[in-house]
Amino acid sequence: MKRDISRRDLIKLGAASAAVMATGKVGGSSALAGTVDLAAGGKDFSPQTGAERKMIPSACWSCVTRDSMIGFVEDGRLVKLEGNPNSIRGRGKICSKGASGINQLYDPDRILYPMKRVGKRGEGKWKRISWDEALTDLAARLKKLRDEGHPEKFMFHYGRMKASSSKIIKSVFLANYGTKTIGNHTSICEGAKWTAQELTWGKHYDNWDFDNTKFVLNFGSGVLEAHTNHIPTCQRLGDAMVDRGVKMYTFDVRLSNTAAKSTEWLPVKPGTDGAIALAMCNVIMQAGLYDKEFFKFIRATKDPNASTAAKVAALKSHLAQYTPEWAEKVSTVPAAKIKSLALEFAKTKPACVISYRGAVAHYHGADTERAVQMLAAITGNIDNPGGRCRAVGAKWKYPKGPKKKPKAKALKIAQGFPGTIAYPTHGANHQVLKMIKDGRAGRPEVYMWYCYTPVYANGECQENIDILKDESLIPFTVCVNAYYDESAALADMILPNPSYLEWWDYEDMVSPTQVPEYYIRQPLVKPLGESRDFKDVVCDLANRMGFPLGFNSAEEFVKMSCEKTPAVKAAGGFEYMKKHGVYHDPKAKPKYYGYKKAVKPDALKKDGVIFDKATGVYWNWHKSKAKSEAEAKEKGYTKTKNAYKGYIGQEIGGKVYAGFKPDKVNKSGYFEVYSELLEMKKFPALPSYVPIPEHKKMSANDLILTTYKVPVHIHSRSANCKWLTEIYHDNPAMINTRTAKRLGIKDGDKIKVKSEAGEITTTANVTEAVVPGVVAISHHVGHWEYGRYASGKKSPLAAGDDSDFKLKWWTKKGVHPNWIIPNKPDPISGQQRWMDTVVKVRKA
Amino acid sequence: MSENVALSRRKMIKGAGALALGAAAGLAPISKATAARGKAPRWAFIVDLRRCTGCRTCTVACKAEMNTPLGAFRAAVYDQVVGTFPKTEKHFLPRLCNHCEGNKEDGIPPCIKDCPEYPKDRRQFITPEGKKIRYRGGATYKRPDGMVLYENELCTGCGKCIKACPYGARSWDKLLISGKDSTKNGIAKCTFCQHRVDNGVVPSCVNMCPQKARIFGDLNDPNSQVSKLVKEFGLLENRDKNTLLPKENTVPMLFYIDPRGALMKMANARKKFEKEEAWVDQIT
Repeated sequence: MKRDISRRDLIKLGAASAAVMATGKVGGSSALAGTVDLAAGGKDFSPQTGAERKMIPSACWSCVTRDSMIGFVEDGRLVKLEGNPNSIRGRGKICSKGASGINQLYDPDRILYPMKRVGKRGEGKWKRISWDEALTDLAARLKKLRDEGHPEKFMFHYGRMKASSSKIIKSVFLANYGTKTIGNHTSICEGAKWTAQELTWGKHYDNWDFDNTKFVLNFGSGVLEAHTNHIPTCQRLGDAMVDRGVKMYTFDVRLSNTAAKSTEWLPVKPGTDGAIALAMCNVIMQAGLYDKEFFKFIRATKDPNASTAAKVAALKSHLAQYTPEWAEKVSTVPAAKIKSLALEFAKTKPACVISYRGAVAHYHGADTERAVQMLAAITGNIDNPGGRCRAVGAKWKYPKGPKKKPKAKALKIAQGFPGTIAYPTHGANHQVLKMIKDGRAGRPEVYMWYCYTPVYANGECQENIDILKDESLIPFTVCVNAYYDESAALADMILPNPSYLEWWDYEDMVSPTQVPEYYIRQPLVKPLGESRDFKDVVCDLANRMGFPLGFNSAEEFVKMSCEKTPAVKAAGGFEYMKKHGVYHDPKAKPKYYGYKKAVKPDALKKDGVIFDKATGVYWNWHKSKAKSEAEAKEKGYTKTKNAYKGYIGQEIGGKVYAGFKPDKVNKSGYFEVYSELLEMKKFPALPSYVPIPEHKKMSANDLILTTYKVPVHIHSRSANCKWLTEIYHDNPAMINTRTAKRLGIKDGDKIKVKSEAGEITTTANVTEAVVPGVVAISHHVGHWEYGRYASGKKSPLAAGDDSDFKLKWWTKKGVHPNWIIPNKPDPISGQQRWMDTVVKVRKA
Repeated sequence: MSENVALSRRKMIKGAGALALGAAAGLAPISKATAARGKAPRWAFIVDLRRCTGCRTCTVACKAEMNTPLGAFRAAVYDQVVGTFPKTEKHFLPRLCNHCEGNKEDGIPPCIKDCPEYPKDRRQFITPEGKKIRYRGGATYKRPDGMVLYENELCTGCGKCIKACPYGARSWDKLLISGKDSTKNGIAKCTFCQHRVDNGVVPSCVNMCPQKARIFGDLNDPNSQVSKLVKEFGLLENRDKNTLLPKENTVPMLFYIDPRGALMKMANARKKFEKEEAWVDQIT
């Protein structure tokens, strides 16, 4: 009898199974287990060959969620990624982007060797060089700047750099080199949220406690499809809604998947979420449904010692202008709906209000986030089970490098043009290239970017290209990347980074359970080609420049950190983490109500601790920039530079509480609904609605352009992942049926979309799933480099091949909206105003 | 290890032995409830549309698990916008092979019925407690536990099964050469992750779904989650509402929990779930 492969393999499979059971979790009512349980010695086998696979715990890095996962390796090749069932964050789950990580690793267009430009910048002509040649050249350039006393002329710009990567590269390498000319990407993400949170409750990041909530109000978050803590939160929200019948109401301009799964989608005019939140606060205050208890910790007036009655009166009076009827006119959401949702939100305890880019990537987006924070605060849904909680993540200890660090210098080009942004606490990095062009704040000699694509990720792509291409503006550009993206094409030197599946990290992303989880990322396979983890490269560079960092690789750094971090060390240190991937203290209690803790009297008696009458803050002036106690007292807490670093506690009614500890700005320990800091900068002290100037000047046929994410792509780094791009490769512009009719546009028509920054030609997707007056175009696609699946052309540095490529059946590649979105900051936070652009749309 | 595990391990050894003798066998993991009856498991797959968010983790998990080439999907999700603004709805419908029971008259799914290489060899399915159940193999065939499987080695690449499936759940695997005709491709379809299930692990898409929207289990085990859900939502009694294309009389073992009537709304809108539609996962 003829036997086929699968049957032969079944035999092998059976035999292997006999030796070791496939899973450790058999029993209970169903004998079937889910993810193969690593801790219980589980096994996994190839469906094709029956071969046993090696299982290695690691962590994802597709997006900032950074889920714990397991890599399955067969004959030295990574074949599959699954969630790590032992993670309290991810509970054994990862998303489509995480699962397609294999495509990131085996991307046929990957850059595997150091490259040096040989033609003109951007011409696409390259020469392969050795690592030694690359680093000799780079070290010489950097050392020269450092020796000349201008380390700040080395600009380092990162997109994603977290946990140990951030510590090694930023806190140790760049700090010891001496440059603080460091850019990030937060302003093109959700910077307005963070600034608003720093102004209200201190440290940024809000965890939404879906495990315990009974009601969810959503302002512009795609929480079920694209959140920054996606997998940990989306599954808990799903459970809450299906298992416990929790309702969620979503305000969005578009019927996102999240809106589609909500109890109700409430279509809203772009940029008006703040008006709705303010009207809701008004309804709640007038109805007396506020939380008196929490008001004790709220600052709502100039006088920090105001009574609750005075604070309530102040808010009532400020909010009176924001009636639901007014909000209806502004937002198009019916007043009756705003009222009923406000009452339901206030009466359902606990309730959670969530928000993201849809609400905040606007002019005064930070004010919208402050209004949302106020909504949570007046109802007592702050830092409580089931509410909006201050984030909890792992606190690693790590080797800090040489004790003596040079005094670092900075070019002031990462916070926007002087006087344009009040508190750019997370930078205004979409302004960096404009500021380099402007030149008044100086220009970097060496501009290096890491996991960042200045050309594609910011607005005004053409201007970005023109500036980056201009050697007179930036003499030397270095790209650290595994992929030949639109920015790599404009580098003078490319250092081939591996994919995240080939490097080390310790990790610390926020836990949805309010219990910190320690976890690591470890290589699942050896770095391909000559790619080298940039964290290892900086150790090498530091050695070459004569300031050894005290460790020589990321692996060594992670190992040392495991031994230095008490909780991890006690669990078994580096070896334990390599084996299990994750650790949390099983006895730890979830962290809530941290602000209610009393400060011990001893802490107030320490040297340098003084009391600031104006705010009621106890603080240690030694940790600020004040030169003497007298100076500190004279200037006061609010006006002394870096005073927040010395914050000890907040006096409220004769007691000193831990309060809402500040971070990055000198706010008090109150939950500051009233912000003296904003008042100082001539902004409204209480959250207010400030209309978007461009929207006031719109003519009848103008539309507002908004952008969005789909569930299967990372913002700009996944278009060459074939399994994702096969599902989503085209992004026709969503236009409401009525609007399209008015403009004479039919579904599938070629259209031109024109803004003050430029024009694109794309296709119309005429639909009922977007509000009238809007054109919605997703990110992700429309690449003109990056590789064969993304742009249709192989990268000039492609080192691999993929037999699947001949089966690529789609030809469309989408149109990137950023070409026509101007880089404009929110004046409070510096947030890029992604959703404010006014456009004219016509049939092409 | 628990007693169940030990039991399963013994059965696996037996299973392997039976295979070596030339009969394919189901290496079914067991629970005590099944063990007591000595029946083959009756696998069922439930998609809970209350939970599905259209995230496509299933689609990609399946691609990775089976290394499915581009252009072919063993698992896919359909999106459909219905209704008029502002009362617009969007529905998601995960698709996979229905692993049909086959009609009441002959109990043979249409894909198997049209396969020229079925029935072929005689095989035995060994239940967890050692009971032997005889069945017929072929290029495509149904196991006594309900899995509709295929064997490329026996396949002539005629494509009749692809045409026979009213749902379009089968497609060509363009990187696979059919076992009996080197000029033709082999076929691909969902196998319920037989290689995992036989080892006591749920199908990959079930494991990976972040929302627990996919549930797989044994209907012969009254304590399984599928049994409970089938009871709670009356899935067996309401096949006309909870399965696709009931008029085809294929009796699918894939059920949808669908309180919002997505199947009907999507069918009315555009999607007919029929073979003429390309079996492609597309976000539009």
